[in-house]
Amino acid sequence: MTLQHYLVISAILFTLGIFAVLTRRNAISILMGIELILNSCNLNFAAFARFMTPPEDISGQIIAIFGIVLAAAEAAVFLAIILAIYREFGSIRPDEVDTLKG
Amino acid sequence: MEFTLRTFIFYGFALTTIASALVVVTVRNIVHAAFSLMVTLFGVAGLYVFLQADFLAATQVIVYVGGILVLILFGVMMTSGRLEMRIHIERGQLLLGGVVALALLMLLLTVIANTPAWKNLTDDGTELPPTTERIGELILNGPFLLPFEVVSVLLLVALIGATLISRKEVRDE
Amino acid sequence: MVVLLISLILLCPLAAFAIFGLLGLAKRSFPRQDYLSTAAMLIALVCSLLLLQEVVPDPEPHTVQWLSLGSVTFSMGFYLDSVTAIMLIVVTLVSSLVHIFSMGYMHGDPRYPRFFAFLSLFSFSMLFLVVSDNLLGIYIGWELVGLCSYLLIGFWFEKDSAADACKKAFLTTRVGDVGMFIGMMMLFTKFDTLSLYGEGGIFAQAAVQLNTGDMIWLSIAGVLIFCGAVGKSAQVPLHTWLPDAMEGPTPVSALIHAATMVAAGVYLTARMFPILTETSSLVIAYIGGITAIIAATIAIVRFDIKRVLAYSTVSQLGYMMLGIGVGSYVAGLFHLTTHAFFKALLFLGSGSVIHAFHAMHGHGHDDEHDAHGHDHDEDHGSEHVLGSEIPPDQDMRNMGGLRHKMPITFITMLIATLSISGVPFIFSGFWSKDAILAGVLGRAMEWNSVHHYLLFGMALFAAGITAFYMFRLIFMTFFGEPRNQEMHDMAHESPKSMTVPLLVLAVLSFPVVNTLWFNADYVKPPEQPHLHAPAHAHVSPDSKVGEAGLTFSLFGISEAVAAEEGADGTHGAHGDDAHHGHGPAHTIAMVLSIIVAGLGILLSWLFYHRRTLSAESVATTFRPLYTLFWHKYYFDEFYNGVLVAVTVWKSRLFAQFDGTIVDGIVNGVGTVTRDILAVFVGVFDNRIVDGLVNRVAEVTWSIGGRVRQIQTGAIQTYLFVVLAGIVLLILIFRAL
Repeated sequence: MTLQHYLVISAILFTLGIFAVLTRRNAISILMGIELILNSCNLNFAAFARFMTPPEDISGQIIAIFGIVLAAAEAAVFLAIILAIYREFGSIRPDEVDTLKG
Repeated sequence: MEFTLRTFIFYGFALTTIASALVVVTVRNIVHAAFSLMVTLFGVAGLYVFLQADFLAATQVIVYVGGILVLILFGVMMTSGRLEMRIHIERGQLLLGGVVALALLMLLLTVIANTPAWKNLTDDGTELPPTTERIGELILNGPFLLPFEVVSVLLLVALIGATLISRKEVRDE
Repeated sequence: MVVLLISLILLCPLAAFAIFGLLGLAKRSFPRQDYLSTAAMLIALVCSLLLLQEVVPDPEPHTVQWLSLGSVTFSMGFYLDSVTAIMLIVVTLVSSLVHIFSMGYMHGDPRYPRFFAFLSLFSFSMLFLVVSDNLLGIYIGWELVGLCSYLLIGFWFEKDSAADACKKAFLTTRVGDVGMFIGMMMLFTKFDTLSLYGEGGIFAQAAVQLNTGDMIWLSIAGVLIFCGAVGKSAQVPLHTWLPDAMEGPTPVSALIHAATMVAAGVYLTARMFPILTETSSLVIAYIGGITAIIAATIAIVRFDIKRVLAYSTVSQLGYMMLGIGVGSYVAGLFHLTTHAFFKALLFLGSGSVIHAFHAMHGHGHDDEHDAHGHDHDEDHGSEHVLGSEIPPDQDMRNMGGLRHKMPITFITMLIATLSISGVPFIFSGFWSKDAILAGVLGRAMEWNSVHHYLLFGMALFAAGITAFYMFRLIFMTFFGEPRNQEMHDMAHESPKSMTVPLLVLAVLSFPVVNTLWFNADYVKPPEQPHLHAPAHAHVSPDSKVGEAGLTFSLFGISEAVAAEEGADGTHGAHGDDAHHGHGPAHTIAMVLSIIVAGLGILLSWLFYHRRTLSAESVATTFRPLYTLFWHKYYFDEFYNGVLVAVTVWKSRLFAQFDGTIVDGIVNGVGTVTRDILAVFVGVFDNRIVDGLVNRVAEVTWSIGGRVRQIQTGAIQTYLFVVLAGIVLLILIFRAL
């Protein structure tokens, strides 16, 4: 169990999250992808805190906790926006929400 | 690296995490995706345990599984009205997204493999003291007090904002 | 001091008018415009009297540079000599009296304030004309008085006849003014200045020219400038507007068309005296003489009281012109002065009579103006010769016996009539007329010239006729039995504001006030070279004699006046000159004029008072002559029939030319342009110009359409592009 194990897992999670964000046709699926990305980040923080710093220094974990909090806030706002969009457009498919279309 | 139970369990968690994440991004039923995400989050929590971040693992389970996931399920129900909503995926988009994601993955793996500072850092398995007390000290009586307060204000603002945005009726004024 | 006084004289009436005009802009009027205007005139009168003291023997013009065009500078300025001073008094005095008279006469007119404002403007213009020291200033004043005349003749413009008359007056005088302007331009071309006086002025330069003998163009210029005077002073053949100008209110007739504006022509001719050559002088004298006779003979047969006076005015103006034409400068201006007073008096008197008859039109003063208006409108039919209908209140056939009803009017008008008729010795008209007659005869005898003998005969004849028709007017109006009892019963004496000016003017008809002219130190006639020119070598080479005859006659007057005033010997210094050989001319002239005047009065008395002779039977006997007079020598018919017809015919011709040829060319060009050129241009426009524009637009459109698709509006696409870009960038940098 080296640092690279964790980093590889994290990279895979990150890639999957990106893939979800790019391809899913549902705003909530996209949110899930974002959550995957955030998780991979937090995992990286924890892994680096474990391997790259002295055992007493757990700043990386605290940053990860902050990341979780931010993810919670982000999820709340995201869902609120999704609700507003749904009310406005009757859909949460991002390709149908294209008011910005040129 | 000898193949111990510990290693076995680690790989188990890792594979579970990756596999369930794969399900999240591929499965067509959004409710299934949500439950699969729950498995992923649990897996990540397990990895935290392997990193000896006990408080972080607990927080992950409580906040993510108990909070965010429920929030997501609520969102699904409120916007679709039915639980088995199908997710449409276009082939072209799938292909392009896959290419980009794979390229990204290759990039990341190359970076991970080629960064000298990250090599040969092995978890020797030494037990570290529980982190909860120290985290509490660092956050409430240490250098992270200010970020903590800022984050709490941010959380408050996000909650109020979310309430405001998702309100059903906007007043005439 | 001089400048101050002259400025005051000019500015007071101008201010009175300006107040009216400025308030008029604000749609209101000064409550007592009549007092304002009259007060302004009285101030001007006082200033004019003060100016008498300021006259110096050899005055300098007071000029300022007015405007500069290239190398030519026009100046504006005043020139005050004795003639100016006297003219100022005449104008301001008559104007003041007319103002006062108008307060009564025009009372109740709906445009009462406007009338006084116009009078003020006129007074200003006339005074400006009088004091100007250069031709440009005179011309400005000249046109301004013409404008005022137009405005005031047409004051009752509701009346067609008045509207026609004011247009006729304006246009007819304009004919003369064109000549005057050409004359001015000739002088300007020759002399490079329009200033008359001072070094480098026209007179100084002209004197040199005349001595060198280059006179033909100067004669032409003189006659052309005289054309202006012909128009303004209503000389033949441009006299026809003046009788029609009687359509204006009677005070206007008195002020403008008897005393001042029409005299401006005489004044101008007198001003130009130094540049008049022998030829131009003779032309002026002949025109004056012919005018005197023609107008007088027409006056015999008129029945409209104002027309009689109008023709009388024309006739007397002819007299003045005659006087100036024969070189009797002082006599001409003297007659101008005396005539101004007694003719104004006659007009105001006739106004008083008309006013008296107005009252009987039933509605008192308030409807005076309406009465004026309606008399004409009804019978203004096919007849287009102006003035052929007579309003009943001006028709002498409706009058008679008024001397008891209107004693003051009667007495004052009688005095004026005696004066104009030339009743000897105590009336000013006698002296001035006699001065002209003596001047003509003196010139004739001196030069032994047939022309001047002929002119003398004309003048004498006209004098007799003048006496005849003026007494005819008096007899028909004031003596005998009332011809129209109804009107007679209603007649009454006019209010004080009207009788007081009559009385003042009556006093002025005696020679007391005219002594200024007799003082040879005060009035110095300008030199006129041809009077001494060697062309008349066959006459006495004594150059003084020409002047002497004049001086003699003046002396005669001055003697009479001196005797009347009880002051004697003041002019003794001129006694020698006076008796210098031309006593005969003066004596003959005086005797003849007395005889002629007496004859005229006697005949008039026989015809119109005693009725031993019948005017009708005489008229029948001399039918053709009577018809000629009655139709005013057919001048109006000639103008209407020939000039107007020719003009109309020419206009038609030109209209036809315009319609067929000019329009044809224009239309042809238009057709060619439209049918041929326009087609080519249209094709070019549609195909090439529009094509270019459209192609550019299409290209832009299609590029835009394609580029637009990048902006899908879908977040995922953006995100995809961003990520792909990041990956590519990192790859590229790693590769590097």
